[in-house]
Amino acid sequence: MKKIIFFVMAVFISTTMFAGGYQVRLQGNKQTGFGLIGTPTIYGSSSIFYNPGSLSFMKKKWDFDVGASVILSDIAFQKSESNYQAETDNKASTPFYVYGAYKISDLITIGLGVYTPYGSSATWNNDWAGKFLIQKISLSAIYIQPTISFNINDKLGIGAGFVYTIGSVKMRKALNYSGDSYVELDGKANSIGFNAGIFWQPVDILKIGLNYRSAIKMSVKDGDATFHIPSALQGTIPVNNKFDAELPLPANLDFGVAVNVTDKLMLAFELDWVMWNVYDTLNFSFKEQGALLNSANPRLYKDSFIPRLGIQYDINKTIIVRGGVYYDPTPTNADYFSPETVSLNNIAYTLGLSIMPVEGLSIDISWLQLFGQKAEKNYSPDNFGGTYQSTAIVPGLGISYSF
Amino acid sequence: MKTRNLFYIILLPLIIASCKPEINDFTPSNGSADFTSFVAVGNSLTAGYASGALYTSGQEAGFANIMAKQMAFAGGNGVFKIPLMPTEDGVGISETENGLYLTTKLVLGYSTDCLEQRSLGPIPANPNPDQQTMWDYLKTSVADQGPFNNIAVPGIKVAHLLAPGLGSFNPFYGRFATNPATDVLINEAAKVNPTFFSFWVGNNDVLDYATSGGLKPITPVAGAVSVGFQASYVAALQIVLNDASQGVVANIPDVTSVPFFMTVPYNAIVLTNPDDVAALNQAYTPYNQLMEANGLPYRINWELGQNPMVIFDKDMPLPDQYAQYKFRQIKEDELVLLTIPQDSLKCGGWGTAKPVPDMFVLTETEIQNVKTATDAYNTIIKDNVDANGLAFLDVNGLMKQVATQGIIADGIDFTSTFVTGNLFSLDGIHLTPQGNAMVADYFIRAINAKYNSKIPEVNVSDYPPLVLP
Repeated sequence: MKKIIFFVMAVFISTTMFAGGYQVRLQGNKQTGFGLIGTPTIYGSSSIFYNPGSLSFMKKKWDFDVGASVILSDIAFQKSESNYQAETDNKASTPFYVYGAYKISDLITIGLGVYTPYGSSATWNNDWAGKFLIQKISLSAIYIQPTISFNINDKLGIGAGFVYTIGSVKMRKALNYSGDSYVELDGKANSIGFNAGIFWQPVDILKIGLNYRSAIKMSVKDGDATFHIPSALQGTIPVNNKFDAELPLPANLDFGVAVNVTDKLMLAFELDWVMWNVYDTLNFSFKEQGALLNSANPRLYKDSFIPRLGIQYDINKTIIVRGGVYYDPTPTNADYFSPETVSLNNIAYTLGLSIMPVEGLSIDISWLQLFGQKAEKNYSPDNFGGTYQSTAIVPGLGISYSF
Repeated sequence: MKTRNLFYIILLPLIIASCKPEINDFTPSNGSADFTSFVAVGNSLTAGYASGALYTSGQEAGFANIMAKQMAFAGGNGVFKIPLMPTEDGVGISETENGLYLTTKLVLGYSTDCLEQRSLGPIPANPNPDQQTMWDYLKTSVADQGPFNNIAVPGIKVAHLLAPGLGSFNPFYGRFATNPATDVLINEAAKVNPTFFSFWVGNNDVLDYATSGGLKPITPVAGAVSVGFQASYVAALQIVLNDASQGVVANIPDVTSVPFFMTVPYNAIVLTNPDDVAALNQAYTPYNQLMEANGLPYRINWELGQNPMVIFDKDMPLPDQYAQYKFRQIKEDELVLLTIPQDSLKCGGWGTAKPVPDMFVLTETEIQNVKTATDAYNTIIKDNVDANGLAFLDVNGLMKQVATQGIIADGIDFTSTFVTGNLFSLDGIHLTPQGNAMVADYFIRAINAKYNSKIPEVNVSDYPPLVLP
């Protein structure tokens, strides 16, 4: 079993850059179809990520939910004052989730979730104009979250989970030495955090959720740095070096309201506050020749606020359709915009469909299309800038079963 | 609603999604300029000379060639003929006591010095090139492949542009002149019916003096055409202007921003043995006594650690009977040239027992002469730019910026540091391919600003740095 889990992780580990910064919220296909709104909803065990407070509102004793999305993204770039164009050649990436929850009593529900809320990958051509900034990058973080949720009364739920994070970063950038020199960095980082939420249903038709996911510092210790450089330099720069780096995964405070307008129609609004402010500088420090190799790379992110709207309609007992829109503004700084994370102001719409052929079983299909708004950006420390534009399409499939 | 209809809703976005992001925000244009046919007038810097020689890939990476490629997006005809050398090892000319000796370009490689220490540094690509072969490379005429758009010739001064028969004296012109014995270099421009030109000349009028440690003449500002800088410059520029009324002109960088003059420290003499210090101080006692007796301020003293070199200074104010004592310790702001033989410094007693020959040093007086001439030339150049409404690149200002704070392009740091600064090739004066690309972008910006054109800038990162073994 352990082997299988690791195989699954290896396949699904890398997720393509697609949302603000390197956040990825595709942690439940019901929510994805609903404009990625999940704080004020009762969607079974996937609430372990979106709002542990609503987990205890699940209706059955057991609830399992697994799913994944496929992110197909493209980034286009045109250099400042130039007709030079470049495009990424990103591989499809697949964020995933696995949740299981058990209602111990009317009061207490426990659960376990494994999901991937952060990740970024971009593959530029090795000889593109920005090769000295980045050629390839992939970041990923898998969260494992045991969770407990209390149904204080039938109107109010609170829940919290401890988060253990397994992260990895891999990047490659060219070095300005002859013979197509480059350095590859490969590191892993484990860390901890928490996820807590409140869910309140004052009247049947109104649901309100508030969720906080803590910031997590991913500290890479003794990552592998491999320098592919001319032999003349190998006395100065060790070919095999170790590096430390720290990447913050920002805290989120999400607030959402859902209203059942009719028996069949639900509307929802959510506002997510993503505290990107923590991402100030990306520092690399090397074990050997630190004075020569260490680098401090300013990022100067700022907090972003993401408004979301969702609509859900129960066509009949076996079919539910959903839709949503949201605006995800970039947390980046226009003068410190690195092509390693091309995060633009994103406008997206989502569609969703749940089919429930038998009692307790739901097949959840989602569709997300994202339009990164064209903008001119510069990374001033390297005097490299241009106009970026991005698109992504994200089909997703999940299956949940409760009994 | 039927289930089937739902599937249509799901499929609809798949059709929308097929659109990939596309950006087309930059449309090249010629503005008020006409880039149809481009001619580049200049010296070694425009010719693509680098690392002490003219060679094929260096010529191809020259800034003028890069500019021509970019101009082709904005109406240029895409033709930019260069009199390419038939060798990648290159040919450079050096003057020796026994006449001219042809050298290959410098490359980074390992050599062992007089102290048996092996180190990485500039060495000739071929230390003993066959002179006959080298002369063949240099002398074989390529005139029948012309007319050429890059008519820059290494080594020329402004007056040479107008000198009939230059090709007989300067083989770099002789090899592409139709009639080397009579042709005038500047008249080559008309042969490509230019609509636009670059004109970057005058460097050698002061560099010849500076790189010879003040031994070769500096071109006077005044004087008739073929003698004075001003008259020759105006005359040559007017001939080009008769062919094309639009162009870009660059000025002359100051020597103190170029590694050829800024790399070897004035205090390169390192003494670690107290006995050596004592012996040197004793040896120079008569000198110090003589200077004191003559009421002159010069003293030579040695201490442990770094010491200024002892240099010959022909301008020292000593009575004639003491002419053999015209040497002294170099001052902090005086410059030692990159060409000083390192083995002579390390093992030959140069700078300590033997004063460094004049040809390897720029004294305060000589530096002042260089600055005065550079400033005067640059004033003339700017006046001509303004009088003729041409685009202008302040290379002098650009190189000062590189020397003082550095310039970054596409993530590449350019400084004036020798070898590691990315800008200068191994001769310490001419540019690397990356350096040429960076300078080409500055030329393009100057042109675009003047003529309201949109020549696309080039990716500096597409061009290679110095080759390391």
